[in-house]
Amino acid sequence: MLELDAVTVRFGGLVALRDVTFTVQPGEILGLVGPNGAGKTTLFNGISGLTRVRGKILFGGRDVTRLPLHRRARLGIGRTFQIPQPMKHLTVRENLAVAQVFGAGRHDPARIEEILAVMELQQQGDRPAESALALQELKRLEIAKALATEPKLLLLDEVLAGLESQAKRQFAAKLKELHRRFGLTIVIVEHDIETISGLCSRAVVLNFGEIIADGTPAQVFRDPRVVESYTGTAHA
Amino acid sequence: MASLESAPAVALKAAPARSRVPGGAALGLGLLVLALLPVLMGASNYMLGLLISALILSGVALAWALLGNLGGMVSFGHAAFFGVGAYASALLSAKLGLPVLLTVPLGGLVAVVASLAMLPALRLSGPYFALAILAYAQIFRILATEASWLTGGGAGFQRYPGLPNVFGLDLASRTGSYLLLVAVVTLCALAYLAVRRSHVGLALRAIAESEDATRVVGVNSTVLKSLMLLLSAFITGVFGALNAHIIGFLEPDYAFSGVWSLMPIIAAIFGGYRTIVGPIGGAVIIYLFDQVVAKSLIAVGHQIILGFVLVVMVLAAPNGLLGLVRKGDRHA
Repeated sequence: MLELDAVTVRFGGLVALRDVTFTVQPGEILGLVGPNGAGKTTLFNGISGLTRVRGKILFGGRDVTRLPLHRRARLGIGRTFQIPQPMKHLTVRENLAVAQVFGAGRHDPARIEEILAVMELQQQGDRPAESALALQELKRLEIAKALATEPKLLLLDEVLAGLESQAKRQFAAKLKELHRRFGLTIVIVEHDIETISGLCSRAVVLNFGEIIADGTPAQVFRDPRVVESYTGTAHA
Repeated sequence: MASLESAPAVALKAAPARSRVPGGAALGLGLLVLALLPVLMGASNYMLGLLISALILSGVALAWALLGNLGGMVSFGHAAFFGVGAYASALLSAKLGLPVLLTVPLGGLVAVVASLAMLPALRLSGPYFALAILAYAQIFRILATEASWLTGGGAGFQRYPGLPNVFGLDLASRTGSYLLLVAVVTLCALAYLAVRRSHVGLALRAIAESEDATRVVGVNSTVLKSLMLLLSAFITGVFGALNAHIIGFLEPDYAFSGVWSLMPIIAAIFGGYRTIVGPIGGAVIIYLFDQVVAKSLIAVGHQIILGFVLVVMVLAAPNGLLGLVRKGDRHA
């Protein structure tokens, strides 16, 4: 589904990502883990086309490295932002309509209603996205917008942040439902080890822009380099 | 997967209307009734002359607001499109003998062609775009001055036809010109409404707020913003052309005057640039205020009062006069 080959991103003298190479299989739920500043969001920006990268990004076997953002979205790469970026003055339904028309190339109101129902946003459908929604609703709208583009790959950037553990478990269950219902491949950035372990079949750990571990959640969270990157101390 | 380029019909189809948005028919009818009142009430030629100038300004203000509201682009260079439309229509009718009713839209099209040179500036945002388009307007004024073999240069150009007689109505008369302008302003307002109500319009309004949020769901913001620039240039060029045939004289310092860039901004912001009726009403009120009130107070430099009015409006009612009225309605 997604192949990253030696993906590197530099901001002036700073190397934000260095030779990041891994593959995401179709249908997989992959956790992207790492401390703050590890390069997780930069990697999402590179995959979705917001940031230019060196190296190669293949999506469905097609080289998308030089494709602009909107073309990648139309090919099926959907993403959310850590800080929600709704189309502020449009209503929730209008947000989804724009995403569907331009991302999926069709207008299907029934599908929009289905997404609103799944994301529990039907009551908020006619409200302006910015002024009338709470933060968690905005996060659900981020996912709903991405779903409206009918993505094959969904990049979720800290959608569970700020939730209490019970709410987190419920939301993780919701993500599993989306994965099954829409036949998605998901890459999710998340800090919570329990959530990653319960949700993902595989985890990739970034630190200082480099991959330091790749395996099942149980494997990577036992890896001394991962423990060190989180605690700042060497594993005993 | 389909895209805007491959499936424009989907994107241009009207999006589900919000209940508060007035219908196109209501907008058109309202504009027509309001505009016909002066004729029905037997306004003087002097008053009709003022209203004609106000409607020319309305058209340019509408075109400016379209670019600002749908796409978030602030232009300080609409004088370029205005002047190009004016010269193109005047020259095509004088040199090639084409009918004026054909050269007026052709003037708009030539303004569209001229605006193509501005497309690279769409990569810029905010003040950088505004500065680029300001510099661009100056280039056309210089070109019109230097190409004196074609345009008459600084000495001006006046041997070209005025508006014709159509079905017994002399469009060159004050009443005829006024009615023609009412019709053209109404048509442009309806075109603007149709674009705004489509999914393209929704996406453009979203681009104005957060471009990345729209690009990430598949919107090609560069193409949509380009389309709005071309449409805005066309409308401005048409009004430049109409103005040229109404006044019967062109010179570069007039046709490309900064007034055609500045006054539409003042009018649109005064009326409420996020609405369709706002720029039109704002232009009529601002122009009449300037000519009737401000000029009588300060004969030379009366525009300073407009500047003061604009500052007060921006501070007191950033959504313009229409925003103020709506706010009043809600509190009533």
